[in-house]
Amino acid sequence: MNVRIEALAEATCVIPEGRLDFDAAPGFQEALERALGAPGKAPAALIIDGAALEYVSSAGLRAVLLAARAAQRAGVPFALCALQPAVREVFDLSGFSRIIAVHPDRATALAQAKPGRA
Amino acid sequence: MTTRRTAVPADPAQLSVLTEFLREFGSAAALAPAQVGTFELALEEIFMNIVMHGSQPGIAPRVEVSLNLGIESVTMTVEDDGPQFDPLSLPPPDVTASLADRRVGGLGVFLVRKIMDTVSYERIAGRNQLRMSKRLEG
Repeated sequence: MNVRIEALAEATCVIPEGRLDFDAAPGFQEALERALGAPGKAPAALIIDGAALEYVSSAGLRAVLLAARAAQRAGVPFALCALQPAVREVFDLSGFSRIIAVHPDRATALAQAKPGRA
Repeated sequence: MTTRRTAVPADPAQLSVLTEFLREFGSAAALAPAQVGTFELALEEIFMNIVMHGSQPGIAPRVEVSLNLGIESVTMTVEDDGPQFDPLSLPPPDVTASLADRRVGGLGVFLVRKIMDTVSYERIAGRNQLRMSKRLEG
């Protein structure tokens, strides 16, 4: 799996491409940690853009959960967006879409991530 | 009737081998991509469960996977010769817990139960056997 990181003014976007399975989860977790940055250098918000994410298993959910928790501790708004239907289903079944914000597309996620909206 | 069978050691490196095996079955059985994805998820969760919980020091169980396309459904059977363990006995995760309290343990098996129509466990002749099926779509 390839992971791209785009640092925008409003948020840092993490873009996983392909399969987020047991093999890919450690690398993805590392990318999320990198995107959250060092203390004092945190992004305005952290968004996982799932437009190119084809598959997720519980190993991938775990990486997302850990990042969501780290973001919460750091006071960084955290959200998912543009999930494909099969991936969205896994987030829904696991109950994760109840505890993590999920937006239909990146534009909505960026608009929601503005300071004071977290 | 399309049937496939393979066996691998319970080693994480075999996950990609099993995924390929499943995809080959999916195309031979002309399954919809979404249906193949459902079985990929179930196989990863069950296989990794055996890797994590079924191995003893120095011994990796042997895992046998068989797939069968029936008239109305697809059945997948995963067998291993590791210690007796019924994954269906795991308590379900609390999917209503808050972000801070949420645990990931047991989530894999929980997902398998949700995405499959039937899941059953049996201990047969010293082997764990997990059998799953899902109705064909469309």
